[in-house]
Amino acid sequence: MEILIDALLQGILMGLLFALVALGLNVIFGVMDIVNFAHGEFLMLGMYTAYFTSLFIGVDPLFALPVSALTGVLLGLASYYWFIKYLLRGPAIAQLFGTFGLMLFLRYLAQFLFGIDYRILQKGIIIGKSFSVGPFIFDATKLAAGALSLIAFAIVYFFLNKTKVGKALQATSLNKEAASYMGIKTDNMNALAWAIGGGTVGVAGGLLINFYYVYPTVGLLFVMIAFACVALGGFGSIKGVFFAGLLVGILEMVFPVFGQLVGSDFLGPHFKFTIVYLAYFVIVVFRPQGLFGWKN
Amino acid sequence: MEKLKDALDFSDFSSAERIGLIIFSIFLLVFPWLGAGSFVKAVMIQFLLFSLFGMGWNTIGGYGGQVELGKAQYVGIGAYTVALLMVWWGIPFWISMPIGVLIAIGYSFIIGYPLFRLKGHYFCIATICTSLVLQDIFTNWKLVGAAKGIELPIHEHPDFLYMQFKSDNYYYYFIMVLFYCALFYMNWFRKSKLGYQLRMIKDDDEAAESLGIDIRWCKIKAYSIASAFVAVGGGFMAVYNLYIDPVSVMDLDLSIKIALMAMLGGAGSLWGPIIGAAFLVPLDRFLGSWLGGHKGLIGVDFMIYAALIMVVSAYQPRGIWGIIEQFRGKGK
Repeated sequence: MEILIDALLQGILMGLLFALVALGLNVIFGVMDIVNFAHGEFLMLGMYTAYFTSLFIGVDPLFALPVSALTGVLLGLASYYWFIKYLLRGPAIAQLFGTFGLMLFLRYLAQFLFGIDYRILQKGIIIGKSFSVGPFIFDATKLAAGALSLIAFAIVYFFLNKTKVGKALQATSLNKEAASYMGIKTDNMNALAWAIGGGTVGVAGGLLINFYYVYPTVGLLFVMIAFACVALGGFGSIKGVFFAGLLVGILEMVFPVFGQLVGSDFLGPHFKFTIVYLAYFVIVVFRPQGLFGWKN
Repeated sequence: MEKLKDALDFSDFSSAERIGLIIFSIFLLVFPWLGAGSFVKAVMIQFLLFSLFGMGWNTIGGYGGQVELGKAQYVGIGAYTVALLMVWWGIPFWISMPIGVLIAIGYSFIIGYPLFRLKGHYFCIATICTSLVLQDIFTNWKLVGAAKGIELPIHEHPDFLYMQFKSDNYYYYFIMVLFYCALFYMNWFRKSKLGYQLRMIKDDDEAAESLGIDIRWCKIKAYSIASAFVAVGGGFMAVYNLYIDPVSVMDLDLSIKIALMAMLGGAGSLWGPIIGAAFLVPLDRFLGSWLGGHKGLIGVDFMIYAALIMVVSAYQPRGIWGIIEQFRGKGK
């Protein structure tokens, strides 16, 4: 029983991070109806940024967070102004392929620049530290990642719901035309969505590097998880993506433990992400609007 | 008989295209005697194989307009059926390959039925998901060799029953025959009822539905045709490479390549996938072997690939064939 509760707590911490990754994807989808396949690659580049910042400048990876956030924002804006804008003229099939191309391009750019090695940070204030509460042991890195993800998520949530610009963004995602009649410039809102998307995923990358290997193809796994979160929470729903992230995190952690308890090989840890893919498939087929979704 | 006549009838193409096809056919026929090295021959076989894949993808992706990124799972089904039946019971290629195709068709109906409740990006991501799930299963399933893959038993060369030859020429002509079967089938397909229905669905699915077309059923049919094509290619891959593992026949990269070649050449046209494969396969192989010699340049070939996808999707979503047609339109 303890092992299950432990997995549950670990799952919640990972889930908070997944929610932050999926948040950016969902903001972009909500505003522009574009699925950004390159989202995982933004995460990967955020991880590399934090990695090299802390390796070369010598600051702690936690303090490299603003740098990776900034990288994410710039990456998002650059992608929008130099590439995505041109895709909007074409049919939907071209948009899908376009972001797919962007994903491949960034991935192999990273492979070209940094090589295919798996890299992980060895030094840092919280790296390798852990503390126990009762029978449960927490890694300081994961706790920090969960807590900071929650804070970042809350900031974006507040921004979207309480500020004027955020409300304009939501108006655009509800109805582009009506919003533009109200004097909201669609182009600016699109760029803002990409900036938020890139920024949040950059932060997530900076947090993830504290306890996860970075390599050029790391993005695919996380983008698939993010897709599952977005589908589960509902395309376009900010609140939904938060709970969906938690749920996916718990699922991914509890499932292998459950398999261990039952003693079945077929429920082993190899399949923990298979479950995520299956979850996506089942959710979109049977409840396309997700748990909290309003877009069809 | 009527269908066969339709399949061999290219009269609605312009004379330039017909002459091009004849020249191309003659070239394919005499190619093995042109004295090309084994590397170039291997590239040609790859080109024909990917044209076959691309033409299959074109039914659902091009004519139907559904972005499908899970074709690798059917390559895997075709390849694994041939390999496993050969390893377990020594069943010849000519029996195991049709079985593989039948399994692929059956599986595509099972998967396709729920899948085609979805449209656009939902559909696209879901196809990736199903392919990844199957790959995960095959990577961990000890009975089918898990991540190690399967080696096919070597038979005495040349063996027509198990399709094992020392010389690439046999493989070349075999895949060429498959290629022409596919080409004639596609030529019939684009003029068939299903072909027209699919194009209507692509242009305006609501209008198609109001005319009484069963959209979902049409898409499922096209999807399973595509899967059958790809499974044939997968079976060929198994006997050609004599070794398969989940990465070589089921990887997402393979799905992307298949869709990309058709997209780049021009989705929804008969020549598109062939042009795309003729462009990308040599690029891939020559660039790969050239860059492989330079240690610092890992990944540059895929960067060029990706840049191509980006440029094409931003400026001419109809691909190379779209550019050609654009120029011809101006010439008139």
